[in-house]
Amino acid sequence: MSIRMRSILESVVVVAILLVLVQTFLEDFAVLSDWIWSSRRILVITGFAFDLFFTVEFLSRMYASVYSGKGSQYFIRNRGWIDFAASIPLLLLSSGPAFIALVTGGSAAFALGGILNVLKVVKAIRIARILRLLRVLKIFKQIKYTDSVMAQRHVAKITTMTITLLVVLIFVISGASGYIGIPEIDGIYSDRNIRAASEIAVKLDSGEFPVTEIVASQKSGEDVLLIKHSGTTFYSKYDNTFYDKNFGSGDFQYVSVNGYDFFFDIKVILKLQAKDNIVYFAIVVVFVFFLLVYYSPHFALTVTDPIHVMRKGLEDESYNLEVRVPDRYKDDDVYRLADAYNRIFLPMKDRHKGPDEAQSSLLKLDDVKDLLDGE
Amino acid sequence: MDADINKATSFITRLLSNPAMKNLAPLLKEEQIMQFLTVNARQLFSTLSSPAFFPEMNWEQIVKTLTVALYHEINGQLLSGIENLVKYNLDFSFVQFLRQQNMPQERVKEDFFKFISVLLNKHEIRRDMIGPYNAIHYKISDRYVDQIFARRQYIHFELTKVQRLKMSKEEIKHFVGASLLLKPAIHVLKVDDGSVLRNGSGGSVQKPFIEKVSTILFEKLKVLPEQVIRSALFANGSFLENGSMDATSRLASTLSAMCKNYRPNMTIDRGADSADKSWINVARRNYKFYGYDVKLLDEFYAIAAENGW
Repeated sequence: MSIRMRSILESVVVVAILLVLVQTFLEDFAVLSDWIWSSRRILVITGFAFDLFFTVEFLSRMYASVYSGKGSQYFIRNRGWIDFAASIPLLLLSSGPAFIALVTGGSAAFALGGILNVLKVVKAIRIARILRLLRVLKIFKQIKYTDSVMAQRHVAKITTMTITLLVVLIFVISGASGYIGIPEIDGIYSDRNIRAASEIAVKLDSGEFPVTEIVASQKSGEDVLLIKHSGTTFYSKYDNTFYDKNFGSGDFQYVSVNGYDFFFDIKVILKLQAKDNIVYFAIVVVFVFFLLVYYSPHFALTVTDPIHVMRKGLEDESYNLEVRVPDRYKDDDVYRLADAYNRIFLPMKDRHKGPDEAQSSLLKLDDVKDLLDGE
Repeated sequence: MDADINKATSFITRLLSNPAMKNLAPLLKEEQIMQFLTVNARQLFSTLSSPAFFPEMNWEQIVKTLTVALYHEINGQLLSGIENLVKYNLDFSFVQFLRQQNMPQERVKEDFFKFISVLLNKHEIRRDMIGPYNAIHYKISDRYVDQIFARRQYIHFELTKVQRLKMSKEEIKHFVGASLLLKPAIHVLKVDDGSVLRNGSGGSVQKPFIEKVSTILFEKLKVLPEQVIRSALFANGSFLENGSMDATSRLASTLSAMCKNYRPNMTIDRGADSADKSWINVARRNYKFYGYDVKLLDEFYAIAAENGW
């Protein structure tokens, strides 16, 4: 592949990463702000498209690396694992199922709901979505925030460690909370809805009260959207136009009891989850921002800049600038070395050069190569 | 011969048009090219001795031909530059204070410029002129003298009380400027090995040698008072050897050395100290080697630090 083509593709990837960060935020923000379904639908589709794009990107890079015998180098050292974690699991566990639910009109979710529970699927998707935060590292990987390779590596390492630990912790805690006895809001809601469905079904069978009174008497009556029996709608909180406009696949929980089909509004839970996601996203972005804006310059100032100046002084005969030694860091190893460079090396170099010794020339043979070759 | 000069000129013009030379003062360009020829002698000789260039010359002759072309190219800028410095930057009214006689400014300037122009035929003088030229052209000497007068500390005391220069700050600036331009005149006299008589490897010139050159210059440059000529020539000496060296000499000596590698608009690397501070600090540590006045350097360092130079 030509360098130009490669550079164009890399630029496309950078743009895609920036866009996906915006998309990730918007998807949660849309839920939190009650955007209409047609808008949220676009975000679900774009989410799927991005995951597909990054999966293809990861597979291409992996293939090219394995083909050139550098597979493990790409995956481990060049942080290909971030490319992996931020693509395939998301496609399989998050945007993929959401997209399938979308194109099948939610029937797949209903089918799953019969076996598992829609909220369990939603939970799996939510946990997988946490991995999206790793994409911040992908963009971080692309930014050339300093000229020093050493500074880049150190800051990248600490950023990767911090963000990965954070994401893994959130991921593990979210995934394992049910097993370690931490009550979860989605579980509580799910149980309450199932209980309510059973009670409503019993009361409906007894035929004692009108359905609206039965629904209103339930604790989660507010969340009951629709009750059907053998294809006939018994109860509907809103008309169909409202559902079409505001509800999409995944916005409701389906429960079937005694032949009654119940649809519960679970937007409250989704909003809580979206709020959590935005908080996590903000934490990750703030961390990265802090590391880039504060730690990276600090590292450059106190480690790589003095080393860079000393290296130039050692390599370039005419370079005689001293390393600036800030008083507060003067006891650092690097600055103690810099102090010795200022006190001992530069004066020695100057004496060695002598007063009449000419400096090394700024001109290089290559500058007149064509002139010399042409003759 | 003309064909050789044309070829040499074309080669030199090409080197001078290199972007790396863009912001350099004329003499620094010349120095860079001379150094380029020295460093790459072997590779250049194999090409420059080819039929396309100078097939019948040895390396020394090639360098000589190139040097003639180089001087010719540089002189165009250099002489007009120095003429401007002498005519418009320097004011020789301070001469009246020293000599107590009225000498027309124009004549002083004319004779002074003529003398400098003749001096510039010598390679050593051209090389030693880089620092003085930069110091005056970029007004570095002026800005330090301004600060010396604002602070009124050691150097001010040395100028006004020890050297007893009862003249204004502006006149002292011109005195220092004239000393700077005349400093390389030390090379008018050579000892047997073709160089000046120096103290060890530090490069300062021995006092008796300076005295001898002074005597010659008193005769050759009668428009200037002896005090100015001595100030200029003693700037080549060591303050450690000559504790009574004039403050203007010490200033000229320090400014000339400091400005030798001056690069206007130089980009300072992050983490590095400024060019002036760095040079002065190194000079402070090597003051014995070069024979500088360390107290003067201390004040220069304080000035550079305070002003971010």
